[in-house]
Amino acid sequence: MNKLLSPAKSKVLFLGNEAIARGALEAGVSVATGYPGTPSSEVIESLASVAEDRNLYVEWSVNEKVALEVAAAASFAGLRSLCVMKQNGVNVASDFLLHLTASGTRGGLVLVSCEDPGALSSVNEGDSRYFARMLEIPLLEPSDFQEAKDLTKWAFELSETIGNVVMLRSVTRMSHASGNVVCGKLPAKNRKAHFDYDGPVMDSQTGPMISTPVVAKHLLHQQKLKDVKALFEKSPFNRYEGPAKPELLIVTGSACFLYAKEAFEILGIKRRAGILKLATTWPLPSALLKKHLLATDRICIVEEVMPFLEENVKVQAAGMISRMTGKSFFGKLDGTLPSAGELNPDIVADALGKILKVKRKMLPAAYVAEAKKAAALAPPREQTFCAGCPHRASFWNIHNAIALDGRKGFVCGDIGCYSMAALSPATGYHTMPTLHSMGSGTGLASGFARLTQFGLDKPILTVCGDSTFYHAVIPALINAQHNRADITFIVLDNAGTAMTGFQPHPGLAITALKETVPAVDIAAICTAIGAKVALSDPFDLAGTGKILTDYLAEKGSVKVLILRQACALSPEKKGKKQFEVKVDDALCVGEACGCNRLCTRIFRCPGLTWDRTKKKAVVDEVICAGCGVCASICPQNAIVKTQASQAM
Amino acid sequence: MGKKTSSQIKLKKDVLEQSLCTGCGACVGLCPYQFIYRDRTVQLHDCDLTDGKCYAFCPRTPADYAGIREKLFESGDLTPEIGAVKGFYLSRAADSDLRARAQHGGTVTALLELAMDAGIIDAAIVSGQNDAFEQEGRCIEERNGLRGFAKSRFIVSPTVAAFNSLPGDSPKKIGVVATPCQALSLAKMKAAKLEDHQKIDQLKLVIGLFCGWTLSMEKLHGLLHQYRLSFGALTGMDIPAGKNILEIYSKTGVTSVPMDEVDACVRTACRYCIDSTAEFADLSVGAARFGGECDEMRGWNQVIVRSDRGKELVELAVSKGVLEVRHAPAHSLQELKKAAVEKKKKALRQIVDKSRSKKNLLYLRSDDPVVKKYL
Repeated sequence: MNKLLSPAKSKVLFLGNEAIARGALEAGVSVATGYPGTPSSEVIESLASVAEDRNLYVEWSVNEKVALEVAAAASFAGLRSLCVMKQNGVNVASDFLLHLTASGTRGGLVLVSCEDPGALSSVNEGDSRYFARMLEIPLLEPSDFQEAKDLTKWAFELSETIGNVVMLRSVTRMSHASGNVVCGKLPAKNRKAHFDYDGPVMDSQTGPMISTPVVAKHLLHQQKLKDVKALFEKSPFNRYEGPAKPELLIVTGSACFLYAKEAFEILGIKRRAGILKLATTWPLPSALLKKHLLATDRICIVEEVMPFLEENVKVQAAGMISRMTGKSFFGKLDGTLPSAGELNPDIVADALGKILKVKRKMLPAAYVAEAKKAAALAPPREQTFCAGCPHRASFWNIHNAIALDGRKGFVCGDIGCYSMAALSPATGYHTMPTLHSMGSGTGLASGFARLTQFGLDKPILTVCGDSTFYHAVIPALINAQHNRADITFIVLDNAGTAMTGFQPHPGLAITALKETVPAVDIAAICTAIGAKVALSDPFDLAGTGKILTDYLAEKGSVKVLILRQACALSPEKKGKKQFEVKVDDALCVGEACGCNRLCTRIFRCPGLTWDRTKKKAVVDEVICAGCGVCASICPQNAIVKTQASQAM
Repeated sequence: MGKKTSSQIKLKKDVLEQSLCTGCGACVGLCPYQFIYRDRTVQLHDCDLTDGKCYAFCPRTPADYAGIREKLFESGDLTPEIGAVKGFYLSRAADSDLRARAQHGGTVTALLELAMDAGIIDAAIVSGQNDAFEQEGRCIEERNGLRGFAKSRFIVSPTVAAFNSLPGDSPKKIGVVATPCQALSLAKMKAAKLEDHQKIDQLKLVIGLFCGWTLSMEKLHGLLHQYRLSFGALTGMDIPAGKNILEIYSKTGVTSVPMDEVDACVRTACRYCIDSTAEFADLSVGAARFGGECDEMRGWNQVIVRSDRGKELVELAVSKGVLEVRHAPAHSLQELKKAAVEKKKKALRQIVDKSRSKKNLLYLRSDDPVVKKYL
C-alpha cells in the first residue's frame, strides 16, 4: 500500500513534502497542481501516486501561474484544491494571485510555497512570506512534520472560513527531511463540482468570481483577515516553551524553531530563555505576542532569509510603545543574526550566546582534531555536469562556435541544470554571463540583440531547457521574432524536467497521471512563429558546430536550434552505456605539445581522469556514461569508443 | 619565481592582438587549441604550455631571422633586397594546356609535377578552397590532381596547417607551395630542429610565391557585395600590369576594381611584411611584369632560384623540357629588386608607426642587416 494512504492513527515516517500531501488528503483535496521546483516537487508527485485511489485530479501545469489558475477553477467549483511551487514560483503566480485574493475563493485553496533559504537548489533565496502580507492572506509555517500535515489540513478549513487563499510556507529542511507523523482520518467521499455565478455580485458563494466592486470587496476581505487573527490567537499551533519570565524571549517558527531548541541545548540556557513558536506568522496573533513581549526585556527573532517576522513583531511592539521602555530587540536588523542565507543550530547558538554572554560548551579537543582530519580527506568538488550530460556537449559546441566567430558573442542563460554553465563558468566553457528567472534568458537576448545601433554588435545567443520553453520562454521568443531581434535560440531538449526529477511537460506524450497525450512540438511552435528552425544531436559535434557557426554568421531574426539528446540520468538511459570508452595509451600524448590535456583540463567530463603516474588520460569506467563524446574531442584519436554490447 | 607566460597568451599578445597574424597556419594543426576560421586564427581554448611550437613557428614572433638566413642559404648568394639568389630566369610551362589553366606561366605546377615524377616529393601541399569558400591547404598525392589548384585566390590559405596536420608517422616526402610568410614559418621549423618535431625532415621542397599582399576575407566579402558578386561566383582574379586595377573573373564576366578600393581590403598584417619574393623558399615564382613588355610577358613567370634543391629542380625541368626558360633581360632583376626594396621600406615605416619607436620593430630586430639597411 502507498504509505500516503496509511490508516488513521498509524505512525508513518514521512518526508516533509509527503506530510503536506497527507494533510491535503485528510482535508479531502480533489485537485492538486504545480510546477516542479526544488524543494517542492514531491508534494505533487506523492499526490499523483495516489490519484487513482483517492479520485484526485493532479497535474504538472505549464507554469505556476497556470497551476494556480487551474487550482482556483476547482475552488470556484466548490472543491478543495492545492497548488504547490517553490519560492520563485510565487512570483510567477503573483499576478493571478493578486486578483484571486481580491475575488476570493470558495472550496478551500491552499498555496504551498516550499522555499530554499541559502539557495541550495535555486538562483535566489526569495522570501515569499511578504506576498501574504501584501495580498492580505493568512500565512502558516510548520515547525515539524506532524505540523506540516496538521497545518495543511487546517489550512483548507481556514481557507473556507475566510473565503480566500491560505498560504503555507515550508523550507528545504522541512520539505526534504523526514519525521514521524501520526495520521488522521481520510475522508470517505469526494465533493461534487458545481459552479454558481448567477447570484448577487457581493455573494461570494453564488455571484460572479471577480474582484469588483474593488473597494467593497477589499473591505470585506480585510474584515475576514481580522477574523483570522482572532482564530490565530487561540491556535494550538502557536505555543510557548520556557520560564514564565525569561531573560530572553525567542520568537520563531518554521525549521528555525528546531534550530533554536538545539541552540538552547548547546548553550544550556533552558532555564533562562523561552521560545514563542509561531505557526501563524501572518497576521500575527497580537494579544498572544503582547503577553510574551511584556514578560521579558530581551527579545530575539529567529528566522531565515528576510526579517519578515522581526518587522511585524516590531510593528506590534510599536503599537504599545509606552510599555516597551527598556526592552531590546535582536535579530537580523541589528546584525545579531546574518541577514542572508540559511541558519543552523550553530549560527543561532552563537547569536544567543552573545546576547546572554554564555560561552558554548566546547567539543573535546580530540574530537575536533579527528573531525578536521576527516574533513581533509574529502576532496574539494566543483559543480559540474554529470558524465554523459548532453549539456556538456552542447556548451562545447556553443563555446567553439562563439570562439570561431570571434566577435565575443555570449549566451543569456536560463533556469535548469544548464544554469551550471553560469554558476561554475568552466563547466559552460565561459560562455554564459547572465542567469535570472525562467524564460528571462530569451527576453534578455531579445533586448541585447537590439543594441546594435548603440554599438553592441556581437552574436547574441540564449539557451533554455525543454520544460522552461513551455514555462515562460514562448512570449519572449515571440517578442524577439516580432521585434526582429537577431538571436540564436538554443533549446537544450533533454526530454524531461530533468533537474527536478523527470516530471513530464507538454513536450512529452505523458501527463502527471500517466495518461498518454499528444506531445506539443517545440519545433512546430517555433516554425509557426516564423523562426528558422534546425534540429541536431549535441553529441554530433561536427554537425551541431556547423549549424551554430552558420547561424552566428547569418543576419536575420530568430534562429532556433533544438539540441535533442536525453539526460544521462533519464530512466530510459540510466545505467545503460551506448559506448564502451577507453584511452589508447599508445596514442595519448598527455602533456606534450600537444594536446595539453584537453580532455581532463578543458572538456572535464567527470568520467575522464588524469593518471598522474602514467601521465595519460584514463576513463573511469564506473562514472563514464558511455556517451562517446570525448572520442570526438581527442585530437590524437586516443580515446576509442566501441558500441557497447548492452547498448539499447 | 614567477610563472612563465604561456606560449598561447604570448602569441595572442604579440601577434593576434597586434594584427600581425598572416593566417599562414603555422600555429594550427599542432594542437587542439589553435584554429583557422574564415582566414582568422582563433584560439579555441586556453593552453598553459610555455614552450609551444605555435609561438616558435609563427613567422611574426621575434626571432633571429638573419641567423636563419645564414643557416639555410649560402652567404655568397644573399642579397639584401630579395634574399638568396642562385639564378634568375623567366620561365613558363612547356605544356600549353597547363599554361591555359594557370595564373601566369604555369611554372609552379610544372615544377611540382616534375618533382613528383622524379620522386623528389611524394605529395604537394597547395592552396584550395572548401565549400564555404575558405582557403585551406590540401595535400595532393596524385600528380594529375595538381592542375586544379593552379590559380591565385588573393586570400591567404593556412597552408602550413596542412603540413602540421600530416600524420606523424608518414614517411612521405612533402613539397609545399608557400607565400613569403608561410615559407618563413617553414624555415623557422627547419632552423629550430626541435627534437619532438621530426616531421620537418619530410619537407623536401618549398616553392615560394611572390606576394605583395593578401585580402582579408571579411573585407573582400564586403567589396564583392558592393559589386554584386559573391565568393561562389568567383572563377579567378589577376592584377594586370600597369593598369592599377584588380580584375575579378566570375561566371558573369570580368569586373575591374580600382586599386585603392582593393587596397582598403588588404589584410592588416600584410602591411607589416618586408618580404615580397618568398625569400626563405628553395625557389620563388611570380608573375613577370615590367616596363613595356607587359602583354608579351603576361604568360611568363619570373623565377628566383635560392637553394641547391631549387637549382637542381629547375635544371632538371629544363633538361626534361618541362619548362621553357629564357634569360631575363638585365633590367628585370633591377626592377624586381627595386619593387622589393620599396615594400621593405614601406613595411618598416608601418612597423615604426605602430610601435612608435625605431627600437621596437615588433617581430624584427633592428640589428638584422637587412632591416638596418632599409629602416
